[in-house]
Amino acid sequence: MKKIPLYLVLIMGALVSVGPYLLTLNAAFKSKQEILTSEPWALPANPIFSNFGEVWSRYDFATFVVNSVIVAVAVTIGQLVFSTLAAYAFARLDFPGRDQLFWAYIATLMVPQIVTLVPTFIIVRELGLVDTHVGLIMPFVFGFLMPYGVFLVRQYFKTIPSSIEDAARIDGAGTFTILWRVMIPMAKPILGTLAIISFVNTWNNLLWPLIITHSESTRVITRGIAQMQSQFNQEYHLILAASTMALLPLVAVFLVFQRHIVRSIALSGMK
Amino acid sequence: MPNPPDTEPPPRRQGRRSRAAFEAYAMLAPSILGFAVFLIAPIVIVVVLSFYDWNLLSDPEFIGLENYRELAGDERALKSIGNTFYYVLLNIPAQTVLALLLALALNSKIKARNTFRVLYVLPWMAMPVALGVIWRWVFDPQYGALNRFLDLFGVDGAAWLTDSSWAMPVIASVNVWQYTGYTMLFFLAGLQAIPAQLYEAADVDGASPLYRFFAITLPLLRPAMLFVLITSVIGSFQVFDTIHVMTAGGPAGSTATLNYQIYLESFTQRNAGYASMLAVVLFAIIALITLAQAALFRKRTTYDFS
Amino acid sequence: MYKTRTAALAALALALPAALAACSGDDGGPVTLRYAFWDDNQRPALEAMIEAFNEEHPDIEVELEQNPWEDYWAGLDSRFAAEEAPDVFWNHVSRFPTYAANGVLLPITDDIEDDGVDPAIYPENLYESWQYEGEQYGLPKDWDSIALVYRLDALEAAGIDPATVNDLEWNPVDGGTYVEFLQKLTVDANGNNALSPDFDPENVVQYGTAMSSNTGQTDWWNYAVQNGCSLQTEPWGDYAIDAPECVEAIQFTADLYNKWHVAVPAESTNQPNGGVPGDYVVPGQAATTLDGSWMLSFYRDGLEPGSWAVADNPSGPVGSGTVINGLSNAIYAGTDHPDEAWELVKFLGSEEAQSISTGMGSVWPGISSLNQGFADYWAGEGIDVTGFQTAAEGTTTGYPLSMNDAAFGTAAMDEFNQVWLGQKDAQEAAEAVVAIANAE
Repeated sequence: MKKIPLYLVLIMGALVSVGPYLLTLNAAFKSKQEILTSEPWALPANPIFSNFGEVWSRYDFATFVVNSVIVAVAVTIGQLVFSTLAAYAFARLDFPGRDQLFWAYIATLMVPQIVTLVPTFIIVRELGLVDTHVGLIMPFVFGFLMPYGVFLVRQYFKTIPSSIEDAARIDGAGTFTILWRVMIPMAKPILGTLAIISFVNTWNNLLWPLIITHSESTRVITRGIAQMQSQFNQEYHLILAASTMALLPLVAVFLVFQRHIVRSIALSGMK
Repeated sequence: MPNPPDTEPPPRRQGRRSRAAFEAYAMLAPSILGFAVFLIAPIVIVVVLSFYDWNLLSDPEFIGLENYRELAGDERALKSIGNTFYYVLLNIPAQTVLALLLALALNSKIKARNTFRVLYVLPWMAMPVALGVIWRWVFDPQYGALNRFLDLFGVDGAAWLTDSSWAMPVIASVNVWQYTGYTMLFFLAGLQAIPAQLYEAADVDGASPLYRFFAITLPLLRPAMLFVLITSVIGSFQVFDTIHVMTAGGPAGSTATLNYQIYLESFTQRNAGYASMLAVVLFAIIALITLAQAALFRKRTTYDFS
Repeated sequence: MYKTRTAALAALALALPAALAACSGDDGGPVTLRYAFWDDNQRPALEAMIEAFNEEHPDIEVELEQNPWEDYWAGLDSRFAAEEAPDVFWNHVSRFPTYAANGVLLPITDDIEDDGVDPAIYPENLYESWQYEGEQYGLPKDWDSIALVYRLDALEAAGIDPATVNDLEWNPVDGGTYVEFLQKLTVDANGNNALSPDFDPENVVQYGTAMSSNTGQTDWWNYAVQNGCSLQTEPWGDYAIDAPECVEAIQFTADLYNKWHVAVPAESTNQPNGGVPGDYVVPGQAATTLDGSWMLSFYRDGLEPGSWAVADNPSGPVGSGTVINGLSNAIYAGTDHPDEAWELVKFLGSEEAQSISTGMGSVWPGISSLNQGFADYWAGEGIDVTGFQTAAEGTTTGYPLSMNDAAFGTAAMDEFNQVWLGQKDAQEAAEAVVAIANAE
């Protein structure tokens, strides 16, 4: 009974958390006039679906979505593969320069993305990858997100007792076999976390695509939304419908993975 | 029966080590290559550029320490440093305290914990670009949800995003909204790692809830606290998208953090060399603060950072 | 012997493709030009012109790249930095001096002479605004001016005769007939307008006007010109907006917000958060506005035909007047296809191309003789657009030409945003802007 105030506070907090999403979803079904004349939390009097249709037809929204998906999936896979390899090396293998190299990775976490934009652009141009999907993907996999991914997975690997690996070694397993057969299955939770962090951060990124892509065939959703905003500054009904479509895939992916994330953060050793 | 002789001759041990090293480098190769090309190389270029004057259109011109000297007299840049600290002060304590309280609440015996947890973490997914529009709509002085809501109570809402005293607090609260749930997860994990026996022992001694919190919970949360503070402070020095879509650094430069000022100098004012200098300064600030945090916590925690 | 011959053949075999590759760079094979622009409203016209272009040049493909205004210049600049820019792009007078001085634009003086393009078809001042140190860097694509756009239904409700709209006057002291006009159009929830003693400024449903411009082009610059202010000492010179005539005009603009309350509040319209003026007129928040001729299709698409019209600008103490501007199509100095790019630019500057765009009512053409086509299109839509032409024939000032446009733009927006909010004095703000903008 005395928990009621607590529940009230928690419910209000939850409302604030999802409020903006709900308001957006609500408005996406209203006509332009209704958005201006009704209260934002009022349900639509005559819900319409045409806003979504209008966004799709006026803009090449399909292309934006496809591009975002290609880039985000590629980056996620790249991160899972390369960061895991590196993380295992840092966590378990002994080699000269290991700790210094690891600290160098960590140090680059403190460098903001904005700072390296133009130099990275110049490098990508030298590689002939301007305005290409590969040019979009590579700096994400190997640059912006990589140190965090390596850090995360390495910390997790460190919490797995080495006795399991030692047993496998005695059985004659080589390093790569251990990694593939022993470590990775045990690391599913953190890999799930890394996957979702990579996917979300890539999907939501505006700066790099803004600089590296210009043609409309490589445009991703973030740029599409930014483009829409300046063209239709007060046409909230369209902008909010587009935003809904941009937000929903992430929410869906999250709901699928959310148990992984929570468990892996718990297990990743806040010790 | 005598023990079998020691059969691990030194050469074999060395061989194992160099084989391990070779395997390690093989595993690391793609990552290191990428690291060198896409992280180290750009950073080196930025540092070098800080000694040049470059308007993006012609060739860079070497000017030595001129950029660094100019900083002392640059009001906008100095103001942006102030704005950055203001933002961090508004953002981090609120976010950390709220996240901790939430974690405590969700760690206790209440119903629907999972549901609450999911709802509180959802904001983290939000695409800043899309959210920016939504927030601008929510904070619009005439049609926005916030002022309409306040109207119901007869309170006159301010011109949130066009008023230079309110713009930064608004941006900070948007960020608190977005990351509190995510931060909460780390505290939750830390709380769940505290052995229950400690609390039971305290109960036997008749300890009050406040005592339990300050004597047991807080000290044992230090590792989680360290991780959270370091990563969220680094993150808040780098905030960009939210500012870009909500205020573009305005009104009157009140929401231009140093990170955003770098963007403005580089792309609006075409001072890429000067912007690079600012980037070096920003990195130095972040590094100093991170080291200070680590040092402060390191004395009293057994968290293994290596 | 064998080895030498084999070696020679091998060398030839290797050299031949290389030679062919070197040759084919210039002729043969389809060429793709990238053409960058910002105003999506003009896309249909651009596509139509490109189609016509392809009839004469089927092997030159043109790929359109649109970026909204906010991101256009940052994107362009970073591409110049990486030496990987679009072949042809829209150029604006504010950026032209810096680009020309830094050598990123391809001069077309020789091309114009060789191909016999006649500069006389363009207005002289427009043509000359794309010259730098004796070289021509673009052909006029269009021109624009500012005029008064208003809603007929609002005027009717206020009992104002549309015929009087062309003769409004203002002065800094009491506002004149212009402010009176706006006051009649500022209506509160109870139906009282701003002239009534019962007027409730807290509860306004319709404002007389809406102003929103980050540089001033659609608001205070016009009042400045009408008050005798020159924004610069001379083209390419220093900014001079702290002169008394200019400050008076800035103060007048601030008064529209804070003294007479006839403008949509600055809290809503201040850039970069606010919309464009049309965003307030179309939903009915404002009855009139000063807006540019490039926005006509925005009103056409948002308002019912017959519900809006265009009138001459009000006159200030010195007369009527406005800011004239124009864009050009420029060629990137580092383009791989200078000849093809010139063909495109030449075509876009030709009568054939520009009559296509005027026929669609897109923008006023760079070629003077085609103005009638544009006016005819809008007459067909029921809108009399001669207000823009009248404005262009009055006292005009060109868009300021300066290497410091970036500094000026940022400073002007920041400082005057505060003046519109009533937080800063106009003289102080103008002096601050001038200090920052003329610093380099």
